[in-house]
Amino acid sequence: MAKKKQQHATNGSDTVPSPSPLPSPPPSLSPSPWQAFLVHLISGLGLASALGVAHKVYSVNLISDPIHTLRLIWVFEAPIVILIYSLLRKNPKQCSYWKAVGRGILALPAGAVVNALGAIALGAPVGSKYFLKTLNWSLLMSLFTFVPAASVFGSSWTDWIQLFGHTKPSGCIDYMICLPAHGAVIGAWFGAWPMPLDWDRPWQEWPICVSYGAIAGYLIAMVASFSFVLLRSNRQHIKGE
Amino acid sequence: MAADLAWSRKEAKWRYGGRIWPFLSIFFLILVLHCVAILLFTRGFLLTRTELPHHSNCSDVSQSPCVQPPPSSPSKEDDGPRRNPNLNKQQCWTKPAIDRLVIIVLDALRFDFVAPISSFEDIKPWMGKLQVLHKLVSREGSSARIFKAIADPPTTSLQRLKGLTTGGLPTFIDVGNSFGAPAILEDNLISQLVQNGKRVVMMGDDTWLQVFPHHFNVSFPYPSFNVKDLHTVDDGCTRNLFPFLYDEKWDVLIAHFLGVDHAGHIFGVNSVPMIEKLEQYNVILEKIVEVLEGQSGPGGLHENTLLLVMGDHGQTLNGDHGGGSAEEVETAIFAMGFKDPPSSLMLERDTSSCQLDVDGRMVCINSIQQLDFAVTVSALLGIPFPFGSIGSVNPELYALAAGTWNLERSMDDVLQNHTSTKDWMQNYVNVLCMNSWQVKRYVDVYSASSLIGFSNEDVLHLSAMYAQAMENWSSTLMNLGSGKNESCHVSLPDLKRQIDSYLSFLASVAELARSKWTQFNLKIMSIGFGVMLISLLVHVLCIRWLDKLCGVYVLSPAKSGISHGLMFSCLIVAIRACSFLSNSYILEEGKVACFLAGTTAMLKLRYSITKTKMELEAFVLILLITVLRFCVELGLSKQAVSSGLADMCPSWMLAVAESYPFWSHIAELPPVLALIILAYMLHESISRSSCRRFLKFVIRGTVFSYLLIAAYWASESKLLNLPLQRNYIAKGVYVIGFGQLSFLALLQFLTEEKTSSWKETVVLKIVAVLSALSSTIIILSGRQGPMVALASIAGGWCIMRLGSLEQDSENGHLQTLSLYSFPVTQWSILAVCLFFCTGHWCAFDGLRYAAAFIGFEEFILFPQAILLTIDTFGFSHILPIFGLPFLVLQQVGSGQGERGKGLFFLQLCQVYLMYGLVTATTATFTMLCVAIQRRHLMVWGLFAPKFVFDVLGLMLTDFLIVLALLYYRVRVEDDGPRQHRFEK
Repeated sequence: MAKKKQQHATNGSDTVPSPSPLPSPPPSLSPSPWQAFLVHLISGLGLASALGVAHKVYSVNLISDPIHTLRLIWVFEAPIVILIYSLLRKNPKQCSYWKAVGRGILALPAGAVVNALGAIALGAPVGSKYFLKTLNWSLLMSLFTFVPAASVFGSSWTDWIQLFGHTKPSGCIDYMICLPAHGAVIGAWFGAWPMPLDWDRPWQEWPICVSYGAIAGYLIAMVASFSFVLLRSNRQHIKGE
Repeated sequence: MAADLAWSRKEAKWRYGGRIWPFLSIFFLILVLHCVAILLFTRGFLLTRTELPHHSNCSDVSQSPCVQPPPSSPSKEDDGPRRNPNLNKQQCWTKPAIDRLVIIVLDALRFDFVAPISSFEDIKPWMGKLQVLHKLVSREGSSARIFKAIADPPTTSLQRLKGLTTGGLPTFIDVGNSFGAPAILEDNLISQLVQNGKRVVMMGDDTWLQVFPHHFNVSFPYPSFNVKDLHTVDDGCTRNLFPFLYDEKWDVLIAHFLGVDHAGHIFGVNSVPMIEKLEQYNVILEKIVEVLEGQSGPGGLHENTLLLVMGDHGQTLNGDHGGGSAEEVETAIFAMGFKDPPSSLMLERDTSSCQLDVDGRMVCINSIQQLDFAVTVSALLGIPFPFGSIGSVNPELYALAAGTWNLERSMDDVLQNHTSTKDWMQNYVNVLCMNSWQVKRYVDVYSASSLIGFSNEDVLHLSAMYAQAMENWSSTLMNLGSGKNESCHVSLPDLKRQIDSYLSFLASVAELARSKWTQFNLKIMSIGFGVMLISLLVHVLCIRWLDKLCGVYVLSPAKSGISHGLMFSCLIVAIRACSFLSNSYILEEGKVACFLAGTTAMLKLRYSITKTKMELEAFVLILLITVLRFCVELGLSKQAVSSGLADMCPSWMLAVAESYPFWSHIAELPPVLALIILAYMLHESISRSSCRRFLKFVIRGTVFSYLLIAAYWASESKLLNLPLQRNYIAKGVYVIGFGQLSFLALLQFLTEEKTSSWKETVVLKIVAVLSALSSTIIILSGRQGPMVALASIAGGWCIMRLGSLEQDSENGHLQTLSLYSFPVTQWSILAVCLFFCTGHWCAFDGLRYAAAFIGFEEFILFPQAILLTIDTFGFSHILPIFGLPFLVLQQVGSGQGERGKGLFFLQLCQVYLMYGLVTATTATFTMLCVAIQRRHLMVWGLFAPKFVFDVLGLMLTDFLIVLALLYYRVRVEDDGPRQHRFEK
């Protein structure tokens, strides 16, 4: 499921000014920039704290023990992402909070399977030695990509296609889901490039540099998504006046 | 605007009035441009040298014009009983000066490890660490010397060993070399030693044993490939070396230490392990000298022994070597004889630079070319000079052993001193005469037998120099004879003049050889590269021109602008091209290609999901690439092991199942099943179409070929013992394939049958030519063949189907450029994947030599070269290029009749142009990369083979495209508006 999307991602930004002709999401849950900032901040902090705990408490890092560290990260991050994004669920009236949480939990393994298959198609090593590494990595990727979308949209196919197929986010929440997911995937794709080099560095192993790439892409895309949301709300503000 | 349109429509009519020559000429132009560019670039880059099979013999000496035996010492020879029987043996080319030789090779020995510290301004910890050597040199009355040895690039151990022993300049392609094995077949020092009854003992680096597999009496090889292991080789050497120093059962002892090289590679020069290694060597060398000196008394074991301590090349501060920088080429030779020094020899040609070292002792350093090593050592040992040596006997090194001749040692007066110098010089002149004669002989034979020899004027110039030198000498001798000189000696100035003229002849030979064999010709290379760039420009311009022409056929105005597909394909091609800048990516090219192919397939899957159609095709494509990816990895692991294994089991399927008999029988089945499926598909394709009897006939021939292939495999397997002549079956397949192709070519000249639909005819034509080619390719590829064929059909089908997504999706017509760029890129990357997954890689040991012997028992150059080419490029070049029209057929609306045919041909041309552009871009980047990396450590191991493969592939691609266009040309005459969708 790799980086398909980079070109469209920039395209999406062009479409910002012109309101999308497609059915816009119910305005009820368009989060304010402040909320968006908070959501991204908490996810970012979750990542940071997971890495910090790994370093301080278990004294491991991605390079020395990728399996353990990746597991730590997704265990930390999973409740944060699921709980926060479930708050922003679409149609809050018809869908209870806990239902959204349940969707997120279900999406975690499902997304992991898709991510793992994609990685293997692109050349990730297979074998018992790599099983746990791939598993933990794909769970992390699933958290970045599938889980937020599942929590918010559930099984609404049109929304999924809209975000991940056409990359045409329309609302604030769309940006908040779409951009970080694409960022993580594109980051992971680029993260794979140093792997064949003959530098003999420990971080060139699967999935260390790919994880670094994904995390970096995710963080950058969160900043981008926040600025989009900010821009958008300013525009709406002006329009409103 | 309208007028413009009308005009261009008219132009299109004119251009394409059933005439294909304007289009063909474009492709011819590109083919010619590529050939010129590649030829020029190759001339500048791929330094080639022909290895001559000749060997020097003792008896050759009678052909030389030189004085034999040297007149200076016949009386001495009979004088009393000599202590050393070896010196008394009948002499071969030169009078032996030493009878035993100890060579200690310290790999990657930088010159500053050896040189005295005082010669450097800026003293670093690693400098002058082998102090024992200068102690010996500066010792009063020693016959030891330190030489600065200049190696020639490439400074890798293997090439240097070759250079040291053959006295030549090894290049990338030493024609005549068996590509797989590194064994030296040219005449060389070691085989001369063996030929002349010297016993050689070797210990240390096992490269020597690869290079000289059968030459050593005793050998103690230690593995050299584990760079991280600093000690195994060195400890093994030390353990075995000292006992041998007390032994008399050898004449030449070689000990090759690797520690410094490995320490450099791992830690760099300025590191503790390096200093420790050097200190360890210092101790070892001290002990060696001690042992040797202990036995160097008169009658001792080492009375006439010469000790050489030398590096094969230097290294940079990071520990790299391979290139031509001063740090890498400057190494050292320390030579020490154990007889009294030739103090009286007054050599005016002394090139040494003497300096006072820290303790106020005089240390002299001479310079020597590594090229001169082989011939100097041969002269010292009195064996024939290696045939291909182009070095000259180094006077200083040669003089070191002068003490062993016992020339008037007892009488020390000035007169005798003078005589001894003269005697020595007389002898040296004779050696040089021999040397010049041998070098001249080599130059003559080389220019006569090599395709790309020296240029005529160079050879003439050399001949003139040689003749001049020889004439000088003979006239001097003549004067001598007529002058009735009592002493029968030539005067000292005459000798000196003679030495100078010989040495200048030899120097100019070496200079010529260097310019021919070690220096890249950057000017020619850049011209070639420039022509290549021009060809790319021609490609782009032609694509744009055709784009305009195609636009005429489309009624609705084409959407202008750059589509995503075009952008992505440019990006993918650019990434792939840039990846060649690093040796790592070249090594893993198969994986990179699969990665990119997978990426494109995923993009397509995403696209097809948004269009909600053809998800299945995209999914199949991803699945297929995943499978290919595993095959590529299997192939790459084979590359890592060695090619020998790959030849043993041609099928990767069998490699898995080899040890289990049951499974190996089961493993026989899938290839046959795949063959049956292929045959069924062919059968279907002809039964569903209604036309062209002849084409059907051709396709039936292929089905018969498949039967033969199955029979061939059956006869190969142990399961059924069929009494079949296997070779005849294989040859039968080749003959049928060839017959089919010539039949198809003939059909081109016959009048076209009136057919119901031109499209159907084209499809059948494609199927016919593919099937005719496939049988040969499949039998050559072995058991994996039919499965790879199925995979390529599946891949091609998916790409073709997905290609039509773009068109169907937009309501208007896209520009052909954006329409085809993505499928064509995918097609070409898939072809690259197929190349790697059939077990090939871009190196000469990546050729599947076994394929050349299918159907042949013995080696016949011409047919087997063709078979090898077909096997190497079959799935990756030949089939994809002939299958490319499927992409166009899918796009061109079938109901358009006459116009459709015109459009078809135009778009076909454009698709071929794009395909050529993709191939040419990668080849251009490969050229750029080898030019940039021409001094890289891996240039001969990795970049140059990659360059050869890419360039050959490019020319083959161009050529096949021209053939394909000739074959697929359609005549715009009739119109058959029948709709018939057809897929293979």
